[in-house]
Amino acid sequence: MIKFLQFIMIRAVMSIVTLLIVSFIVFSMMELVPGNCAERYIAFKNTQGQNITIEDIQAEERRLGLDKPYLIRAFTWMGNVFFQGKFGDSCILRLNINHLLSDKIWLSLGMSIGALLLSYVLAVPIGIYSAVSRNPIANNTVRFISYLGLALPSFLFALMIMLFTTVYFGESMSGLFSKEYRDAAWSYAKFMDFLSRAWLPILILGWAATAFALQTVRALMLDEIDKLYVTAARARGIFGRNLLWRYPARHSLGPVINSIGFDLNRIFSELPVVALIMTLTEMGSLLIDALAFSNDQQLAGAILVILTATIVLINFITDIILALMDPRVRQGLLG
Amino acid sequence: MFWYKLAGAGLLSLGLLFSTGTTALASCPAATVADMKGVKAGKYPQQFELSEFERNAGCKMTFQGNPDIAKLNAKIRGNTRNLPPVEQRLPSEPLIYAPYDSIGKYGGTLDVLSNATEAGTSDFLSVRHVNLVRYLDDLTTIVPNVAKDWKWNSDFTQLTFYLRKGHKWSDGHPFTAEDVKFWYDHLALDPKIMEKPKDYVMVGGKRMTVEVIDPQTVRFNLPAPKPGLLAHFAFSFAQGFQPKHFLGKYHPDLNPDADKLAKQAGFENGLAVIKAYYGNSDWTDTPSPLLNAPDKVAKLPADVIPTLESHIYITDTTEGRHLVANPYFHIVDTQGNQLPYINEQDEVYKNDNEIRILTLVNGEADYKAQSLQLSSAPMLLENQEKGDYTIYLKPEITLSNMSFNVTHPDTDKRKVFADLRFRQAMSMAINRDEINDVALFGQGTPKQYTGFSPLPDFVDKKWESYMIDYNPGKAKSLLDQIGMKDNDGDGFRELPSGKKLVLNMNFSTQGIDPQIVEMVGQNWAEVGIQTTVKEVTPDEYRSAQSSNQLDVGMWRSSQPLSIVMGNNELWVPPFENYFGHRTGMLWAEYVDSNGSKGVKPPAYVMQLIDDVNAFQSSPIGSAEFKRLGQRMVKNMTENLLKIGIAQKPAPIYRKNSLKNFVEFKTHSYEYYRTYPYRATQWYLDE
Repeated sequence: MIKFLQFIMIRAVMSIVTLLIVSFIVFSMMELVPGNCAERYIAFKNTQGQNITIEDIQAEERRLGLDKPYLIRAFTWMGNVFFQGKFGDSCILRLNINHLLSDKIWLSLGMSIGALLLSYVLAVPIGIYSAVSRNPIANNTVRFISYLGLALPSFLFALMIMLFTTVYFGESMSGLFSKEYRDAAWSYAKFMDFLSRAWLPILILGWAATAFALQTVRALMLDEIDKLYVTAARARGIFGRNLLWRYPARHSLGPVINSIGFDLNRIFSELPVVALIMTLTEMGSLLIDALAFSNDQQLAGAILVILTATIVLINFITDIILALMDPRVRQGLLG
Repeated sequence: MFWYKLAGAGLLSLGLLFSTGTTALASCPAATVADMKGVKAGKYPQQFELSEFERNAGCKMTFQGNPDIAKLNAKIRGNTRNLPPVEQRLPSEPLIYAPYDSIGKYGGTLDVLSNATEAGTSDFLSVRHVNLVRYLDDLTTIVPNVAKDWKWNSDFTQLTFYLRKGHKWSDGHPFTAEDVKFWYDHLALDPKIMEKPKDYVMVGGKRMTVEVIDPQTVRFNLPAPKPGLLAHFAFSFAQGFQPKHFLGKYHPDLNPDADKLAKQAGFENGLAVIKAYYGNSDWTDTPSPLLNAPDKVAKLPADVIPTLESHIYITDTTEGRHLVANPYFHIVDTQGNQLPYINEQDEVYKNDNEIRILTLVNGEADYKAQSLQLSSAPMLLENQEKGDYTIYLKPEITLSNMSFNVTHPDTDKRKVFADLRFRQAMSMAINRDEINDVALFGQGTPKQYTGFSPLPDFVDKKWESYMIDYNPGKAKSLLDQIGMKDNDGDGFRELPSGKKLVLNMNFSTQGIDPQIVEMVGQNWAEVGIQTTVKEVTPDEYRSAQSSNQLDVGMWRSSQPLSIVMGNNELWVPPFENYFGHRTGMLWAEYVDSNGSKGVKPPAYVMQLIDDVNAFQSSPIGSAEFKRLGQRMVKNMTENLLKIGIAQKPAPIYRKNSLKNFVEFKTHSYEYYRTYPYRATQWYLDE
């Protein structure tokens, strides 16, 4: 038992160290980009037509605290985040980041996890089936769809769908909420409205994820099926679905569980661009805004820390689940 | 006999009384700009004061309000539920608009797009904007709006505005001259709120004083003449008033209990509340407490600051904003219907240009002009029928132009760039017609840069076509004269000193079209000047410009006369602000450091500086004014500091169901977008 607790403690400490390093890297990289947030924000006002002077920019920098040296800013920020959970104010939106993201985190995570679940729900049975099936039509269809999912970038897929719906239906499938629910408080009706529009990004993101998972499961199954213990089980008289589920499938699932964190990361990497295209107002498109358009260090840093924390947490949990599931590890830990 | 006459006279007079009484009580004609129904024009075109209209039309006006106004008012948190009848909501001296086409219908929601909070929003802001005065749609005449009238003193050091009796803020409280003084003294000039006062509230770096003569009369006293002050209140986004009754109670200088009041709402002090409402900026799109303090807004007396505009915010999120009509708006139409006709406005944020175009093609917005570029015009024009909208291509005010770094750190290059013959040659080497055809779909107008756009009518038109003819032969001979010959036979000329010359043309797409740059580079190569074209980010361009590293400056510039009267940046080194097209950086250093650093500018530049300052103080339209303007244009254009290429149009989008919409003269931010075209009298009709 002690060993198990030690195991957990080590994992936890490693997670926190990872988080610290990632946040520092993010902050530093944004520092290297020319043109800080104050200048970008005010540049925007100038394209609106107002006349700006250098003093205005410097005043803005002072107001945002951007004139302080880099290390002081970086460590103040990290201190606030890790000890108080306060992300500060977004430079470009002038709002408190905690408020800004409180709603959007759930939207983004909801869509990402939705895509992830969709992909496993589809990939696991289909992968197992396609490993054992001899039906050429079924096999080739599965192969074709999964290769398409692997090859077609999700943003291209999103663009194609938007183009199709605009040309043929005269409606752009953009936005997470219809007008009536956009500003309303959360309710069952708003949730249903959200689902009625979120299915499309979930499908787009899920397709690539499904293809990956499907190929993985299929390959693992093919590996396991030829192993001796399966032949032995067959010899003992177990066959059909029973055979599949009790033996090779359970072993193939191990690596799949291991890769949950990785899959979520991949989905989340594609989400910002898809969200930008479909004008989904959630955390991913906000991240692209902060990184590319406005150089908003605070906001980008906050989003990336949250994202990293989520993935680190998921990896932490899957590590423990695996440890409990795999009898070899379990024996070793629990003694 | 006598009694009969008396009776007759009595009956006659009674009859007269009744008849005149009946005509005096007749309802007012539906006079519109399209058909004035015989009503004589008032002092200012397209609009009237109440007494003026009743006299000219021979009628007595009765007022009607929007039948849904009580419902709309209920959505404004902070307004009393019991809405007074429309006669009491309007000022006793309302402004009367003759709508462009027809008396409007109440109802509907105006759908618009912006980029993001405080980004790409000035278009939409202008739709509901009000200020003391306004430019007429001819972009030359100034007419009243919030102010009923104004008066200058003889030497332009005193400007008096006359406000409207009974004018109320959107929460029903009276609007008076005190609100103007409050804005100036306690917001615009208070260092706790505006760290440094903006240029537009100062005259020559010194402050004005604002006097309240009586509740409807306010006077600005200027330390020096500035005839452009009136125009400022016509084209600026900065409204010259803020609600003293509302913000004043949180201002520590005006209310000793300000901080206590603020703490009750959960704010640190009174100034924090003012910041939450006013955003410490005259821009009216800064986040309201709904967005910047959602956890505290319920404890504040109102969701958003009261306004005089035609609509007021009721929701404010990072996805968009929603507005409803202001029940106390001060303008009515010629039949006494209170404006605005449109009940609600909905603004959605879409930060990607392609997505915005897609939304417009699908007809999901009612009006858009800002951020639409000529390059999107073909797609928008193609889908007009399908989306049921109309596109208008109107000229922009700014002109694409290029400059040579006349204070280049490399003295050999500097010598060539500073030679007028070189700049003349380069201007003549550009094939503007071809550029117009290829890059601007033939829709642009080749023009020379004169500093003004549009060119004022007292300046000779010849300057607009100065040296824009395509004459590569003359260009080559001028370059030969300077001493730039091709000595090593590679097809490109060297500097007179013999060193190789390669012009680096680093540009940003935010400032100029890539196609224009490439074609000009090609044209210059054809007369023997080697060029390399490279696209950089706007930040890189600006910082290279600041550090005097550019060979060729490229951006869009020009300003209308009304702006030049308050802003001299196009005429004084470095000839624009930090975000624009700057050239002659070392001349600017010399001027700013009073001669201790930098390079002394030539005489014509010093004359430009003196002229523009004198220009800003001369009475508009006087002989001196015109003489100075002429000389400024001559000095600027003859010396080709900035070489103009072409002026291009940009698309203006309008859904066909939007009525009372008049074609704009220009596609520009100057004059504040839709403000001269009276968007407050638009209405929606399927």
